[in-house]
Amino acid sequence: MSSELERRLEGLLAGAPEPDPGAGEKAQHRALRALQPAAPARRGFRTVVVAFAAVVALLAVAAGSLAAAGGIHVSFGAKARKQPSTRIPLSLPQGADGIAVVVDGRLSVVTRSGFRLQGLPVSAVTLSPHALYVAAGVGSSLVALRPDAHQAWSHPAGGRVDAIAWAPDGLRIAYLVHHEHDRFPWTVHVIWGNGTHDQVVGRSVNPVRPTWRADSLAVAYVGTDYRPTVYDLAQAAHHVIRMHKLFGGVARLAFAPTGDVLAVNTGRRTVLVGKSRKTVWRGSTDGIGWLDGRLAVAAATPGLPRHIYAFSTHGKILALVTADGRTARVLAGPAGRLRAVFAVPDEPVSAVEVG
Amino acid sequence: MRRARRGDRDAAAALFRRYWRDAWRAAFAITGRQSLADDVAADGFERAFAALGRYDERRPFGPWLHRIVANRALDLLRAERRLSDEELPETPDFAPAHEPGDRSLLAAVAELSVERRVVVVLRYGVGMTPKQIAEALDLPVGTVNSRLARSLEQLRDSLEVEHVE
Repeated sequence: MSSELERRLEGLLAGAPEPDPGAGEKAQHRALRALQPAAPARRGFRTVVVAFAAVVALLAVAAGSLAAAGGIHVSFGAKARKQPSTRIPLSLPQGADGIAVVVDGRLSVVTRSGFRLQGLPVSAVTLSPHALYVAAGVGSSLVALRPDAHQAWSHPAGGRVDAIAWAPDGLRIAYLVHHEHDRFPWTVHVIWGNGTHDQVVGRSVNPVRPTWRADSLAVAYVGTDYRPTVYDLAQAAHHVIRMHKLFGGVARLAFAPTGDVLAVNTGRRTVLVGKSRKTVWRGSTDGIGWLDGRLAVAAATPGLPRHIYAFSTHGKILALVTADGRTARVLAGPAGRLRAVFAVPDEPVSAVEVG
Repeated sequence: MRRARRGDRDAAAALFRRYWRDAWRAAFAITGRQSLADDVAADGFERAFAALGRYDERRPFGPWLHRIVANRALDLLRAERRLSDEELPETPDFAPAHEPGDRSLLAAVAELSVERRVVVVLRYGVGMTPKQIAEALDLPVGTVNSRLARSLEQLRDSLEVEHVE
């Protein structure tokens, strides 16, 4: 029997506003992009479906029909079925535990543990230490995937995840979120490696990938006014690094794999910041990172296409994306022993990660 | 539904149009904020369509979608509550209440815990039955009924206290 109070509640709460038509259009566009058709049933044909914590990954390993439809393809242990295209399948670089490449917004991953994933739409990706896990921005969530898929988690980020960095000890992840309608749209978060205890550590930050100190107790990001900022987790304190304005805005940050030296790359200089400061490079760059204990600076060559560089967290493996207008290639391996591990025609490779 | 499951975009768009308003209102009912409702409902549809291939079409689509949306909304609210420097708004952004008594009732609803507020707004704001709420939130029906009863009791107590004062 409905009480007077219940009738009042119905009258009040049913007066909720209507959804905005613009929001509906955007949502419909997003939903249709995510549409994953069911694999056709085949008698006597075993189909394995792997779901990652209710996110977009859905796959029928055995059904080749999904390949032609551009679906998502995951297999564990065995090699993925060869695709009907001229792309060279991603292979594991020498000495690496795993590699991830984003081609035309879709992720391909291969790891030493036998994890292979192909086709997941992502906005950003990173590998955990030893490439045991993969973290990716999927829709407006941060998603962690692991080979058995059963313990994967998904965390609503509240916006597109633009960059992710896994701490060297594997216990935390820093990630950058883009909030579409905000005037200063990026926030930087730190979340535990199990997907809990998410915390905003910086607001109105700049879209530069965060980097972790070797002891995993501090993370650096580029804060307001393009100033590098180090957030110390133990003290819950921010330390702003003041840089000369003439150096230009900070474009890249890279903590050394040991110690606490931070490499800061601006439009014009690369500076090592530790107990003292030292300018180690003047000129524009395509990337910075640490290799075999030394800072590597990839100089940009005027007039030539820009390369994409990725350095493993432990500072032993390098990955490099090159493109000549017809084919994009990924080279990877220890310094001085780079080998082609992937090639794809006419499709943009937007990111590479190696671990 | 069958056509949408096979990847027919027109059928999927029709499915979207049919359920968008309800999904949005459910998201709004739980989060109490239009901006969050936009995000949660869109995310719910995105997840639902991405998982359409493994959806059991013998079951009704609406409760399944509501379940995804409700869980997304609750995840978001719980995540926000964990943030040290970002509190949930005191009062959900429901339609303006003109009567003083209505304002008191809305304030009392806003003071309910998230778990209780969700079942109250899904029951009285969206019009779902306790069974549908139980399916959407993956709870036993008894738990839903119990939360509803306790919520009503708490609301009555709040309003009585106000009358006394």
